[in-house]
Amino acid sequence: MSGTAGTGMTSGAGGGTAGARSLAEVRAAVNGVALWCPDDAPAVTGVVAADLMSDVLVDARPGYVLVTGLVNVQVIRTAAIADLAAVVFARGKTVPADVVDLARQMNVPVFASHDSLFEAAGRLYAVFGGGPAGPGMRRQA
Amino acid sequence: MTDAEFVRAYDIVGADFTNAGRASTGIKETLKNMGLASALIRRVAIAAYEAEMNMVMYARRGTMTLHVTPNDVTIDVRDEGPGIPDITLAMQEGYSTATPEMREMGFGAGMGLPNIRRNTDEMVITSEVNQGTAIVMTVHVS
Repeated sequence: MSGTAGTGMTSGAGGGTAGARSLAEVRAAVNGVALWCPDDAPAVTGVVAADLMSDVLVDARPGYVLVTGLVNVQVIRTAAIADLAAVVFARGKTVPADVVDLARQMNVPVFASHDSLFEAAGRLYAVFGGGPAGPGMRRQA
Repeated sequence: MTDAEFVRAYDIVGADFTNAGRASTGIKETLKNMGLASALIRRVAIAAYEAEMNMVMYARRGTMTLHVTPNDVTIDVRDEGPGIPDITLAMQEGYSTATPEMREMGFGAGMGLPNIRRNTDEMVITSEVNQGTAIVMTVHVS
């Protein structure tokens, strides 16, 4: 488990300076490879980065992308339950076939990135308008 | 939806991590097919999923029974398991007795019961040590 496990950090489009992005923009930002993604046009409303799925269930909003270093079927089930837009598996981990199969079955687009969780979250933080002039990274109340 | 109450029960098997979450997914699909609002469905699904994961992690077996009326969605959760000695403590965010194996699955952050409470309008939890735990959780439709 990564050192950032359970931080549940989020960057959303609710701050007013950043709008929704497409899955294609998210994939490009993290140099991601699509493991299953029938359509990369759908809007992404924000990002949550965590390895603890309960934190994801607290922090994520519908349409968020989950960035995680955890690779198992519970990630896909969590994403489906929480109406997330997609999952980015960070840290270059091998994603087992059963995880991709479940993603396809549950209609959850999945990407793999060689970025660390920190790097992937940082790149997406910038894409979603974070930084000194941006809305900031906030934990949803 | 008619005035009649809709009831569907799901069996949960302890330590079956492969299928953990299937019952909650089924509940979510059922509510979608009924045409309920997506925000309400999401709240129910998250609460059900947390309860289901708790049963898979801690209990030997259990059931989740979905009740839907025009006014309420209720899930009655009952398990046979170790029970919860101190419910007040278990309701605190961050308190957890999870094993490293549970945490490797991405659960056991001590957010399960608080997250059920956060997503429901009513939550009643009762437990008997070495017998089991029951949670009745309700979300109002209107």
